[in-house]
Formats: sequence, structure tokens, C-alpha cells
Amino acid sequence: MNLFQSITSALDNSLAKDPTAVIFGEDVAFGGVFRCTVGLRDKYGKDRVFNTPLCEQGIVGFGIGIAVTGATAIAEIQFADYIFPAFDQIVNEAAKYRYRSGDLFNCGSLTIRAPWGCVGHGALYHSQSPEAFFAHCPGIKVVVPRSPFQAKGLLLSCIEDKNPCIFFEPKILYRAAVEQVPVEPYNIPLSQAEVIQEGSDITLVAWGTQVHVVREVASMAKEKLGVSCEVIDLRTILPWDVDTVCKEECFLNLEAPISRVCGYDTPFPHIFEPFYIPDKWKCYDALRKMINY
Amino acid sequence: MTPSRRPAVKAWRLRGHLKETCGHPDGVSPAFGSCRNPHCLRSMRKMLAAVSRVLSGAAQKPANRVLVASRNFANDATFEIKKCDLHRLEEGPPVTTVLTREDGLKYYRMMQTVRRMELKADQLYKQKIIRGFCHLCDGQEACCVGLEAGINPTDHLITAYRAHGFTFTRGLSVREILAELTGRKGGCAKGKGGSMHMYAKNFYGGNGIVGAQVPLGAGIALACKYNGKDEVCLTLYGDGAANQGQIFEAYNMAALWKLPCIFICENNRYGMGTSVERAAASTDYFKRGDFIPGLRVDGMDILCVREATRFAAAYCRSGKGPILMELQTYRYHGHSMSDPGVSYRTREEIQEVRSKSDPIMLLKDRMVNSNLASVEELKEIDVEVRKEIEDAAQFATADPEPPLEELGYHIYSSDPPFEVRGANQWIKFKSVS
Repeated sequence: MNLFQSITSALDNSLAKDPTAVIFGEDVAFGGVFRCTVGLRDKYGKDRVFNTPLCEQGIVGFGIGIAVTGATAIAEIQFADYIFPAFDQIVNEAAKYRYRSGDLFNCGSLTIRAPWGCVGHGALYHSQSPEAFFAHCPGIKVVVPRSPFQAKGLLLSCIEDKNPCIFFEPKILYRAAVEQVPVEPYNIPLSQAEVIQEGSDITLVAWGTQVHVVREVASMAKEKLGVSCEVIDLRTILPWDVDTVCKEECFLNLEAPISRVCGYDTPFPHIFEPFYIPDKWKCYDALRKMINY
Repeated sequence: MTPSRRPAVKAWRLRGHLKETCGHPDGVSPAFGSCRNPHCLRSMRKMLAAVSRVLSGAAQKPANRVLVASRNFANDATFEIKKCDLHRLEEGPPVTTVLTREDGLKYYRMMQTVRRMELKADQLYKQKIIRGFCHLCDGQEACCVGLEAGINPTDHLITAYRAHGFTFTRGLSVREILAELTGRKGGCAKGKGGSMHMYAKNFYGGNGIVGAQVPLGAGIALACKYNGKDEVCLTLYGDGAANQGQIFEAYNMAALWKLPCIFICENNRYGMGTSVERAAASTDYFKRGDFIPGLRVDGMDILCVREATRFAAAYCRSGKGPILMELQTYRYHGHSMSDPGVSYRTREEIQEVRSKSDPIMLLKDRMVNSNLASVEELKEIDVEVRKEIEDAAQFATADPEPPLEELGYHIYSSDPPFEVRGANQWIKFKSVS
């Protein structure tokens, strides 16, 4: 299955298992602009898979409401770049519901899904990776998968998790990434990073599409510099797996400062996209500088 | 090529032109006169004119203008226009209007320029010279040209992403627009904005996020009122955006503070792929302002749009507060270049609008039938427009891209320039503003 098919499979499993589960968002009824919900409306009915008008704040607020009553709400925001009208609802309502009601109410059965990340021609408003904005918000969970197999397991975990979750799906991988994915449901635990490759000299931490870039950098480093890299996929951004990434004492033992490789500190540009993204050469460059620190 | 072979070559080119540009359903050359598609008829006439020129041995140089027989044209003509539906208004715009020959020719040229510019953008996109997003407004020319005709250049306008037409009517050249689409430094936003982010004097874009421009428009209207220069702000949004919360927030503020804001809903019946019936509890968009008076306007008739805009602008300038206009219009292309536009509507529907309500055709018929202009004269304008667009496309393709140093420019306003972090901490770019 490719990534969007694995998402459809996860949603299919959820709707089958949980009779209160509903999927809603812009254009989800015909299958969604990325085909993630194809066939679900025919299979489960139009009262379980339905379109909303163009109103992100409304979609998330509405989803919180459904979740508070105990039903499972799976909301889709058409592009992660459009999530900002809903930011208030997510941060001020969804994240704080359980805390402020002393555990009397919660919207834990809410999951928000959104296509995420750069795609090559998205420019300012179809390419953003806004997970950092949510990473400082206690009360929600933020998850980014790197592949179809991971996506299905993580999405099912998000849906079943008793906390509101935001699930970002790397849109560039929707068709590009293909893997063997089981048809039956399975879970991948949240807040657990995965060490994809063991190494001893340098650690590379990434999530989503960048994991693949970093994997390639690791093999380039091995080949050209003889450097052994440890590659970690963070998977859950919040709450993140501190233990796997760094032990308590590790900061004192580092031989070089931690390097952050990412997009430029500019808005996502229209014409300069290939220069903006942290491709393998920029990562490799950073790695070399760190090794030679 | 001998003169005798030109007609054959032209006929072959016409076939291709029909298929690609006119959007003729079969791409098959129709029998003379039986096709109702006005574009086909126009091209047919051009070909006929070319053939007759060849046969009569007249000079072929494109620089020579075909002499229009000097006949007496009327200076102006009075037309009846559709009455607008009203909401909370006692009276609406007039139902007749006077169109002068000069204005008519101007509107025709502008609409034709917008149409050809959009079609050229379509072509360039398919050749992958334009990348990214491209939302075309062909079919909606009467809206941008009609609105501009009803206001002053000192008034203000803001719209969403289907903005190429407005960028032109607000004063930018086709060259700058096409160069911005291709992402070159000759573009109006220096190549950094693209299709959705074009700006000009008193034209605030070009906004990608749906509905986000409406509160901005209300703010501009506040500035107009504050500055006391009798200016108004036209704030446009679409039928899809009409369901966004921030629009209602803007309505409330504008009405409360009596801002000179004309809210304009360009209703082209589809929000991306969702028809208005499936998206809105009330499709009477001109009434959605509730406490704000509204009018529903035929957006395919440029004269109707112009009169309604004059009426609305006069209303706002008199200090009565905001007003809402719904322009009922239609787009021939899909939502964007990745949307074929036929999965949620039928080809027959598109064809019907093209043949019965095409704004350029409607204006042309009116002008020709009232002796305001001749068919040949309008054809000349077509030829000139085509050339202008070709030149602009050449420029847009040949102009260099902005230099890489500009990646970091214009983030903040700052003096002196500061450093912008690149992909890792060792890559630095200068930010100049």
C-alpha cells in the first residue's frame, strides 16, 4: 500500500471497530483531495463520513464537541497550512479540556489529520510543517509518520488514544512511499522513538519525510567519511521520547554542539523551494562540520 | 511559403487552436455557422478575413493595419440591464445605463486582455514554465473590469487567490503578471509571490488563505474613513469563503463602525469542487450580511456590474456604512490547473454558459448591434491584444529568476541588514529590507 492507502485502511479499521467513529472535513466525502477517504462513505454511510463547509475553526470546534460526548471524531484539515484558524480551538479548548474540568470532561477521542510538509511546488501555503507550533502545548499529542506501515499503526494509536491527537501526514509520500502493510488493525505505540540504524559517532534525529533524507546522509557519511551514524525517527513530537534520544548525562559528553538542520528562517518561498529545503547535501554538510568540530 | 499555401496552413492551425484554446468540445472544425461557440466564430471570421486577403493579393505584413472603413459610429447608446435583487434597500442601481463608444472599446480591450492572459497562463502552465498554483479567472472578466469601471483608481481593492484579472485592472501590465507567474525578477512581487500573491498600488493582493482577506479589507476601509479622502474599499471573497467565520466578524465590525467597505461575493457556483447548494445553508449570499444591505448582480454583464458598483460606492461614500454585493458569475477553468473542472459539473453546463452568457460576447453583441463599433474594429483589438500577450509571454519566459541572495530579503523591516539562519547553523543569508 502507499501512504494514502494505508491511511484509508486505518480509517476503515476504525470505523468498523468503533460504531461511534465519524470522519469529516473538506471534500472527504468523495475521497478527499489526496484520496485518503476513498470508499469510506459508500461503505459506512453518509452520516458517518461527511463534508463540512470551508471553516477550519468550525471543523475543529465541532470535532471537540463530538469528542466531548464520547464519540470518536476524526477531523481532516485539508492542508496543515490551514490549521491556523483552528489553532485557538486546539490549544485553548482541546488541549485544556481535561485539565480545566478536573477530569470530568475530555475530548480524548478527537484526532485531527492534516497533509503536511513540502512537496516541491507548494510555495507558501501548501508546504508548511507546523508541528513546532503545537509542540509546546501540554494536553495534545503530535505525531508524524515516515512510511505507510508506520502511518497506519500510529494513526490507529492516535484514534484509540484517550487524548486529542494531531496526526500530520507527509503529503509528498502519499504516492511515493509504498510498503507492505497488514490489512488488519495493529498499533504502534505513541511517544516512542525508533532507532532505525545503530551507530556510534553521531546521532541524527528526524521525523516524517526527513527520516529518508537523513538515512541517505547516514550512508553517505559511512561511505565518504567512515562515520557511523545512529538514525532515530522521533515519530511522536509531543510528548517526545527523551530517553531514547538522549540520556540524562549526555549533554556533558557531547563532543560538538547539537546542530539543527531545517528550512530557512524565511516563509516558505515560491521560487526558491529547492534551495530552501534541508536536502541531503545540506544535512551532509552539517554532519561534516560537526565531525570536524 | 507561397501565398496559396497559407490558407491550408492557417486552417490546420485553426484546428489546433480550436482544440486547445477555444475549448471546443470535440476539437473538430465545425461546419460554418453551425457552431454556437463565439470563440470559434471569431476565429472562423479571422481565418476567412486572412484567406480573402490572400486571394485578393493584399499586403500580408502584420504591421499594416486593416483600414476600417470610416463610417459613422454612434457616440453612445443606452442599454437596459437586469434589475438587481435587493436586501434591506429601498432602491437599487438603475436599470438602464449609457455606454459610450470610448468606454465600450476600453472595456472590450481590457476583458479580452484578461481572457487571453489567462489562456496564455494555462498554456505556459501546461508547458511547465509556470509551476506551483495557478487559479484562472476566464469567464469572470466582467467582474474585474466592471468593478474597476465603477470605482476610482484611488479606491482600494483586496481579493483572494483568483487575482490575475484584478491585478491587471488595477494597473499592472501583462508582462509583470506573467513574469510573476513564471517566478522571474521582472514579476510584480519580484518572483517571490507567484500566482496568488500579486500586488499593485491600492491593490492589496492576492491572498492564499481563504477568507483571510476580508477582515483586512474592513481594516483598509477603516483607514479610508479615518483619512477622510472619500475612498472606499472593495473586499472580495468567493462562495466557498462565504462560510468562514472571520467574514462575519468583519461584517459586524464594518457595520458597527459604518466603514466604507463594499463586501463582494464572487459567486461562481463552486467552491473548488463543492457546489453552493452543498456548502451553504443559504445560497442568498447577498443576504448573508444580515444587517448589511445587499444586492445580487448579474456578474456576466459588465454594464450591470458597473452600475451596481457605482451605486454601492455612492452608498458607502455617503457615510451609510458597508454594503454587500453578490456577483453571479462563472469560471470556465477548474478551480486550479490541477482541476479539470468537469468532475463536479458537466461539460454541457460550461458550454451553455460560454454560448449564452460569455461576458465578452455580450459586450461585443451590444456594441455591434448599437453601432458603437464594428466587428472588424473589435477584431483589430483582438489582434493587438494577442500580440501584447505574446510579447509578455516571451518576456516572462526569458527573464532571469531572482538571484539566490534574495531568498532572505524582506522578512522584516530592518536597518541594518541582519543574518538569516539557513538550513543548518553554518549557512547564513543576509536579509535586506
